[in-house]
Amino acid sequence: MVEPPPEKLTPELVFREYAPRIYGIARRMLGNDADAEDVMQEVLLQVIRKLDTFRGDSQIGTWLHRITVNAALAHRQKRANRQKHEVGETGDELDRETPSAPVKRWAVSPEEPVLAAEQHELIDKAIKTLPTPFRDVYVLADVEGVPNPEIADMLGLSVPAVKSRLHRARLWMRDALAPHFEGGMAS
Amino acid sequence: MNCQELLDLLHDYIGGELVIELHRTVEIHITGCNSCMMLVESYRHTIRLARALPKCERLPAAVEDRLRKFLEPHLGSS
Repeated sequence: MVEPPPEKLTPELVFREYAPRIYGIARRMLGNDADAEDVMQEVLLQVIRKLDTFRGDSQIGTWLHRITVNAALAHRQKRANRQKHEVGETGDELDRETPSAPVKRWAVSPEEPVLAAEQHELIDKAIKTLPTPFRDVYVLADVEGVPNPEIADMLGLSVPAVKSRLHRARLWMRDALAPHFEGGMAS
Repeated sequence: MNCQELLDLLHDYIGGELVIELHRTVEIHITGCNSCMMLVESYRHTIRLARALPKCERLPAAVEDRLRKFLEPHLGSS
C-alpha cells in the first residue's frame, strides 16, 4: 500500500497540530498556565518563521521538544532573575530518597491505565510539587517519553545525572501518589 | 543484597540496564522481601501513570483566541 503524501506544513497546520502539545509540555515544566502560554506563543512564532526549513513531520517533532524546553528554561531563568525567591517554589533538592511510609500494594490495573480527569489532576498536581530540576527530567522522560541521552543533551546534563534525577523524581512521585492508589484507585 | 542496595539499583533494574547477574540478585531479593516487591510494583505503576497522562489537550478557548490573535499576521501566509 502506498503511503499518502505528508500534509504540507503550513502555519495553520502547525497552529492546530502542535500548539496543544507545546502548551502541555510548557505547562508541566513551568507549573503555571500564564508562563506556559507565553512560551507557547514564542515557540510557535519561531516554528512558523522557520517552516521553510522543515521537510516533514518527524523532523519538526524532535525540534519542537528541543525549542520548547529551551524556551521554558529561558522563561524560568528570566522570571527567577526578576524574583529571586518565588512564593511556594520548592527548593532545588529532594531530601527524601526512601519511601516516607511503609510500602503497601497499589490497586492499579497492570494493563495500560486509563485515567479519569480527577486522576490527571492528581498526578499533575504531584508533578508541580517536584523541585524544578527534577520536574524537567521527569516530564521529559516519563510523561513525554524522551530518551535519557536526548534529555541530557537538551538540559546540558550527563546521562548519569539524568538517570539520578529521574530515579529520585520517580520515588518522590511514588510517595506523593501512594496514599491515593494504595488499596484502591484514586477518586 | 539489602533493601537500600535494591533502591539504588531500581532505575536500572526497571530499565533492563543491569548485567544479568545483578538482575538476578535483585530478583532474588524481591522474591524474599515483600516490602521491596511492593515498592518495585508501585514504582512501575508510577511510571505507567505518567505515561498515561494526555500529551496534549485541547487549548482553553481563551488561550486559543489569544494565540490566534498573536499569530494572526503569520497564519495563512504560506
